[in-house]
Amino acid sequence: MPAEMEQRYTERLKRYVAAMRNEKPDMVPIRPFVAEFTSKYCGYTAQEVTQDYEKAFAAARKCAADFDWDAVVCNMVYGWSGLTQAIGLKYYAVPGVDLPPQTGFQYLEPPEGNAWMQAEEYDELIADPTGYLFNVWLPRVSADVSPAGQPTSYRNNLSFLKGGMAMWQYFGAFGTQAARLRAESGTVSAISGILKAPFDIIADKLRGYRGLCTDMFRQPEKVLAACEAMMPHLLHVAAGGADPQRNVPVGLWMHRGCVPFLSPQQFEKFYWPTLKQIIEGLHAQGIQTLFYAEGEWNPNLKYIAELPDLSIVYHVDRGDVFEVHKAVGHKFCISGGIRNDLLALGTPDDVREFCRKVIDGVARDGGYIMDASAIIQNDAKVENVKAMTDATREYGVY
Amino acid sequence: MCEQPKPRIAPGVCIPWEEKRKEFPEITGDEEIIKRTWEDVDGLAYTYVWQVLLSF
Repeated sequence: MPAEMEQRYTERLKRYVAAMRNEKPDMVPIRPFVAEFTSKYCGYTAQEVTQDYEKAFAAARKCAADFDWDAVVCNMVYGWSGLTQAIGLKYYAVPGVDLPPQTGFQYLEPPEGNAWMQAEEYDELIADPTGYLFNVWLPRVSADVSPAGQPTSYRNNLSFLKGGMAMWQYFGAFGTQAARLRAESGTVSAISGILKAPFDIIADKLRGYRGLCTDMFRQPEKVLAACEAMMPHLLHVAAGGADPQRNVPVGLWMHRGCVPFLSPQQFEKFYWPTLKQIIEGLHAQGIQTLFYAEGEWNPNLKYIAELPDLSIVYHVDRGDVFEVHKAVGHKFCISGGIRNDLLALGTPDDVREFCRKVIDGVARDGGYIMDASAIIQNDAKVENVKAMTDATREYGVY
Repeated sequence: MCEQPKPRIAPGVCIPWEEKRKEFPEITGDEEIIKRTWEDVDGLAYTYVWQVLLSF
């Protein structure tokens, strides 16, 4: 690895980590979560980067090299459809198959009244979440997996073999990708490991959002018990994937915890207690959590402020980033807040002006990372993403 | 930090070693290495289903 590139990596890592520790680095780090934007920039379709992870990796590397970013995710188009098709997962809409080739992959809510987990199955989930996933959930969400107790099949056996080996191959390739980002452009791999809130797992993958809303009224104690049953497993998986050097955070992707999906009272009762314990459990192991607060989370700021100092990097989507800074900026690094509609519909001057406003209002004492509000897809204009980058380099030097 | 509930089957485990152990009539050698290997490989299956749930 050329010495110059390693030096660049060392500087970028130091910059990125200092900001995440709520310190003032040499300049504001840039860590955009670019997904299908990379395919647009490189001339691929969304289908290509969803179906072929090597193209997705290559697109991420080219963007990292061309845009002078400090950190990127190895592949933000993370739902590789090679694996989802191997398992026969029913809850995906795939570009080029179920969607136009230039539309990013979509998750599908389970059919109303026919959720992947039935309302009367909470006790089974609570007693043994892993067993439930294998024996009940996986057969329901997969076109190929046979239910427990039913005759097996060629497709069933292949589903497990292909799924397992495809996952091994794909996850193993992330290591190579991280090394290439470092060697080829001195870019830091932004996150390591994955976490979701127990409530979000039940909403997104088990009962569906509508089913879970009904459960909160009809069997609230079961919902709470299910969240508690899943909590140690989600902590275990997150910690298992965390950065062994404890530099970069675990990615926590939150979904239904914000208004209008949940009221703050429902958030306090159902969503927050177990998620808070997981974040605290990770913090106790020296692991920071990237708190990706997708949507409008400012009504929940008083709860988030309960977390230990530096336990999270707070990512802002639709919340007012200045309000977030005022409420919790003394406790946590903040990232994001650059509106995606601005990147898609605005001019470079609009972007530059807004970035400067955010840097002046949020970043002056350190503890800020430049990024868009939400994951950057192929609606963002290349010149606007460049303007966001250039503005940060111009205005974000300490 | 609040005390966490103890799950019936621990995180990282699909088929506990204690259950698998009953299938061996006798272990004449090092049981610990068999246990460790069983738990390591069993953990791969655990990772598989939880990563399908979380990442896909």
